[in-house]
Amino acid sequence: MAVAETTAPAPARGEPSAVADLAGETGARVWLRTAVGHGVLAALSLACIFPIYWMYATSLRRPEEVYNVSLFPWPLSVGNYTHVWDVIPIGRLILNTFAVAALISVGQLLVGLLAAYAFTAWRFRGQTLLYLAFVGTWLVPFQVTMLPNYTLLYRLGLLNTLAGVIVPNLASALGVLLLRQHMASFPRDLLDAARMDGRSSWSILWTVVVPNLRAPLAALSIVLFINAWNDYFWPALVLQRADSVVQLGLRGLFVGVEGPDWGGLMAGSGLACLPIFGIYLLLQRHVVGAFVRSGLK
Amino acid sequence: MGRIELDGLTKRYGDVVAVDGVSLDIADGEFLVLLGPSGCGKSTLLRLVAGLITPSGGRVLLDGRDITHAPPARRDLAMVFQSYALYPHLTVARNIGFPLRAARTPRAEVRRRVEEVAALLELGPLLDRRPRELSGGQRQRVAVGRAIIRDPRAFLMDEPLSNLDAKLRQATRAQFRMLHETLGSTVLYVTHDQVEALSLATRIAMLDDGRLEQLGTPTEVYDTPASVFVAGFLGSPPMNLLPARVECHDGRVRVLADDVEVDLWPGEDVEARDVILGIRPEHLHLMAAEGPAGPGGMPRLRGVVRAVENLGAEESAQCAVGGALVHFRGARPLGLAAGQPVALTTARDHIHLFDRHSGRRLAWRPLADRPLADRQSADHEPAAALHDGVTTHQRSST
Ligand SMILES: Nc1ncnc2c1ncn2[C@@H]1O[C@H](COP(=O)(O)OP(=O)(O)OP(=O)(O)O)[C@@H](O)[C@H]1O
Ligand SMILES: [Mg+2]
Repeated sequence: MAVAETTAPAPARGEPSAVADLAGETGARVWLRTAVGHGVLAALSLACIFPIYWMYATSLRRPEEVYNVSLFPWPLSVGNYTHVWDVIPIGRLILNTFAVAALISVGQLLVGLLAAYAFTAWRFRGQTLLYLAFVGTWLVPFQVTMLPNYTLLYRLGLLNTLAGVIVPNLASALGVLLLRQHMASFPRDLLDAARMDGRSSWSILWTVVVPNLRAPLAALSIVLFINAWNDYFWPALVLQRADSVVQLGLRGLFVGVEGPDWGGLMAGSGLACLPIFGIYLLLQRHVVGAFVRSGLK
Repeated sequence: MGRIELDGLTKRYGDVVAVDGVSLDIADGEFLVLLGPSGCGKSTLLRLVAGLITPSGGRVLLDGRDITHAPPARRDLAMVFQSYALYPHLTVARNIGFPLRAARTPRAEVRRRVEEVAALLELGPLLDRRPRELSGGQRQRVAVGRAIIRDPRAFLMDEPLSNLDAKLRQATRAQFRMLHETLGSTVLYVTHDQVEALSLATRIAMLDDGRLEQLGTPTEVYDTPASVFVAGFLGSPPMNLLPARVECHDGRVRVLADDVEVDLWPGEDVEARDVILGIRPEHLHLMAAEGPAGPGGMPRLRGVVRAVENLGAEESAQCAVGGALVHFRGARPLGLAAGQPVALTTARDHIHLFDRHSGRRLAWRPLADRPLADRQSADHEPAAALHDGVTTHQRSST
């Protein structure tokens, strides 16, 4: 296929043999490059997919067969899933985690959006300093803010509540940083045109900027959601109960009396991954689409 | 209504003065073109009027009202951007209707006006497309549509044709002229293309380095450029500019340079001074025979042809005259070849003189009420003057 694409039609006159040679050689080289590229990509994706496959494969074995290493689980069984359902309130845990992750990512998106808009659409005194301060928070390790945040939550009476997990995470430098980069390359003429057309800056943000930043916003949402979903340490610190969020609930399966409950763990993790896949499927359509610059020139 | 007055408008960026004390009075219904080379501050000036940037000094008045500090939305001006700045996520119809929706116009009214504008600009079949599905010319028309739908007091246009190919540009120029006649609104139009400026403008404002160099009708600006800068900007090729000297010899005022002799008028009382002699390429022609260069003779430039260029209907020749390169053009064929010696001449009315130091035009006026033949006769020299703002040399003979 690649050969066919690159082989130029030989000119009517001139040196047909030389032209054919040249075309043949480039064709072969292109083919080789494509093959190597595809090989590397295939190996990488296999390395990524296999653990996930193994998790679901193990979860679908019969509970007494979880140590079986055959590549395909047979006969299939939902025993591990019913078991998880019996041992921990997995439905409520996932729902809680979902709510926490959703609120955190929406909060971070909003803060990032407004801050990035302010940093790009206006020039004001102390701008660079403020921006550096924002970026700086990224460099501060979690361990430094952990204890002050904890004491603050204690005083506010938010320990052991989902709000305690959410509130300290509502702003993130990552969101501000990433969105500012995207807005900086946003065509200024579009903002100016909207101002000439009589829009307020608030309305410009929602009617011009956001619709054209759908791709980066979707990508950022996925990252923020997964971050929040995977966060283990902070929820573990704030919520000292196992029946709160799924990260902590799964821990209960690890430390059973007879050692880790591998079947239950795989089934529980398998369930915990589903919302992430869902979010990804929902948003990746936007990641691929939308091209801001296409309206210019 | 749409009279725009600029009063000493200035914009500084640190040490750079992008716009330097520009004052202009643009009458209602005028098509004023801001013309100048890249970086001379045209866009900055337009954005100051639009309110997209705030001036460092000076005022902007719209119909007598001071709008220097009014936000763009309150100015009732519409702008067409060089990049068109169409909203990529909206269809053509929604792009055009965008300013009306911002003003909370009822839906049905928006639809009606969008259809009107689309019909005027022949955009009807494209209303449901997105900007990326349009050609350059179509995008340009959508941008114009978005501007005219508001029926603003004035249009601001920043090089709206510069992204179009030559043919489309010509067609769109004609369309702009028609649109301006139909709508009768004030247009402030930025371009660096002199053809656009000369063909569209009711008046041209020439900018150089942030300053207003000359303001006048296309004819005035072309025929009596106020400075060396304007003379060297307009025309293709632009006016030939040669360093020369005005001197009095044998009772005649003459302009002299290497291989150049121009006899102006009889007299003695003009102070010798350094000037720039300007002659447009199309005003030069070959001297039939080597006439006498004596008193009252035709202006004469001697040189050697360096290259001849075919321009289609005309030919343009470059000749080395003294140390300078002189262009002249005429109907094809000129009958010249590289290396050939030539003598060029021109009518005395087509001689422009500029002060060497200030670059400003020196008014030298042959008495205009005499017939041409009379003026060229040796005995009846017309009254003439050579003056600028500082020194005035007046002379009258006969
Ligand atoms: N935001 C800015 N900061 C600093 N200097 C600026 C800024 N905007 C414009 N300038 C300077 O002001 C001068 C005029 O710029 P302007 O864009 O008005 O030129 P222009 O005449 O529109 O040129 P062009 O024909 O290339 O569009 C330039 O020297 C430019 O470098
Ligand atoms: Mg410009």
